[in-house]
Amino acid sequence: MKALLIDSTMCMGCRGCQVACKEWNDLPAESTKFFGGPGYQNPADLSPSTWTLITYHESITNGKLAWSFGKLQCMHCVDPGCETACPVHALTKMDDGPVVYDPHICLGCRYCQLACPFNIPRFEWSKAIPEITKCTLCADRIAAGMECACSKACATDAIIFGDRDKLIAEAEKRIAADSKRYVNHVFGKEEVGGTCVLHISDVPVNKLGHKKDVPLTALSAGSAPAMKAIPWVLTGLGIGLGAVSWIVNRREQVAQDEGGAV
Amino acid sequence: MTTGKKTGIGTVVLWLLALFGLGLMVWRFVAGLGAVTNLSDGYPWGLWIGIDILAGIALAAGGFVLAGVVHLFGGAKYHALTRPAILTAFLGYLLFIFGLMVDLGRPWNLYQAIFHWNHLSPMFEVAWCVMMYTTVLFLEFLPPVFEKFKWNALHKLWHALVPFFIIAILTLFTFAMSDSMTWTIIIFVVLLFWEVMMRAGAMPRDKQMPILLIMAGIIFSTMHQSSLGSIFLLAPDKLHVLWFTPIIPILFFLSAVMVAPAMIVVETMSTAKADGHDNHFSLLSTFTKGLPWLLIIYLVVKLVDLGVRGAFGDAFAFDGTSISWLLEIIIGVLLPLFILFGKGAREKPGTLLFASWLVVIGLIWNRVNVSMVGVKVDEWAMYIPAWSEVFITLGIFSIGILAMRWAGKFFPIHEH
Repeated sequence: MKALLIDSTMCMGCRGCQVACKEWNDLPAESTKFFGGPGYQNPADLSPSTWTLITYHESITNGKLAWSFGKLQCMHCVDPGCETACPVHALTKMDDGPVVYDPHICLGCRYCQLACPFNIPRFEWSKAIPEITKCTLCADRIAAGMECACSKACATDAIIFGDRDKLIAEAEKRIAADSKRYVNHVFGKEEVGGTCVLHISDVPVNKLGHKKDVPLTALSAGSAPAMKAIPWVLTGLGIGLGAVSWIVNRREQVAQDEGGAV
Repeated sequence: MTTGKKTGIGTVVLWLLALFGLGLMVWRFVAGLGAVTNLSDGYPWGLWIGIDILAGIALAAGGFVLAGVVHLFGGAKYHALTRPAILTAFLGYLLFIFGLMVDLGRPWNLYQAIFHWNHLSPMFEVAWCVMMYTTVLFLEFLPPVFEKFKWNALHKLWHALVPFFIIAILTLFTFAMSDSMTWTIIIFVVLLFWEVMMRAGAMPRDKQMPILLIMAGIIFSTMHQSSLGSIFLLAPDKLHVLWFTPIIPILFFLSAVMVAPAMIVVETMSTAKADGHDNHFSLLSTFTKGLPWLLIIYLVVKLVDLGVRGAFGDAFAFDGTSISWLLEIIIGVLLPLFILFGKGAREKPGTLLFASWLVVIGLIWNRVNVSMVGVKVDEWAMYIPAWSEVFITLGIFSIGILAMRWAGKFFPIHEH
């Protein structure tokens, strides 16, 4: 399973990955403006035409003011909540890693947005024929034996592409080699049962625009018991209701017959 | 004939709301959902899901509960109440599908759910239940149509074929949900067994409604009501702890059953008043005998669940969320319980109607809590419905009331 490892200590905030993503996926530019807080960040958030975003954060490291950069995009969960949620398999997890979207069968119910623990999918609210949009992990490039556009473009190798287990080993090696600098946490190794986008950093990931307290088990574990119960309930009702009807109506028949005899 | 003299002010308002709502819907399909809603990528669901769908479907539960009581559980004396309840449920479901079309981003793809099966998705279960139960309600609604047009041959054919049709769709449903041949065969055999027993004369049958049709109504409703709760099982970190529980499908089902008698009272008494029918008050009075007990069961399950999950503290935090939870319980459960346990409360029309309204409002409040008040997604500005969302909802409900009134006059629904 292919994956990305993002090491924020090596990121210089050039946003070359954002540009590469737009170029490969033919996404239009957005008109943007400066805003309060992390004002160099541009644009402000993910959108239907921005599938990955370098987020800017001021932090104090060793008593000095420093910039830290996060990277928002679809996390490509190993067991994605959006895939479980989608009634028609418009969102599917591919064997080689990407979670991809097929607009031709999508109902536009937006349950994937509710189910995504990372709040990634964006809906085209202003279109008459809207789609769900998000990073595809460059599924088309992976299928052609190439790496993702963002990792290819990254000048400092802050984003590297590879097999998920090898990248986890690499991430843990880097943390072990410089345990003073890195936070001992590979974000994405265990979150929601594991993701194909992994982050390591010298500041806690929630200071990089990522969510705190992401559940560590796949979301599908939450709905599975209810879904597994369905055939039991169906059969139980099928037998129970029939039996009740038989007994009740029989009793009434008997009561009527007796009433007639008297 | 008795009410056709003048068009009341209420009817005029309903027509205006319906037309205005339809106009907004046209605009929604031209300019996109963003043009008429305050929904966002953080809060993708709002008023329409909460009111039109979650609350609307629960309020349609009267149909299956009454059909079950009358035809399966020996409550034949309540027969006068069944047809209006089934009609309401049928129109309610059609209206719900109509409302869903407005809410879905790509409604023209709705049929894809027939061909692409995700057995793991609660929404897949919801989609199938909607299709199946609407079909069942249509079949249950047909007898008055046959009577109206004196299509006796068709009526006989309906009676003969419906059981086999039901066996087919319940078997297909089981296969779609379980993806298991074993379960599919079990259901098929069970249903076929009942039908064979009835045809052989061993098992008594109902003269008016095929037993299997009534059973299918109860089964699909049970699955549908509960699956609307299951949907939220995939939002563990977004739905507030007061409502997020592994047993939310059970709570959704119990509350739908609980609101059924209350809704039947509200509806029967208000349409009777508006259209001058008999309101069958003595029937309503005995039918609601079980209502306090349903309220108690729901309350106990809800409180025990809260206790087991250690969330009592959150219930009494007295912040906005906790107050909304408390109001849901006080208005919808405690207050009606208090009223109904009063001596002879169910014999007084005003009191029974008031208590029933409280249960209905409490149920709506609960669904609004689950879908809106209780959902928190930190980075986004809190969702407040846009005026246009409110008017589209009002439009849909106005269309429903107008359709209900027309159908009640046109078809032999009310016994005299």
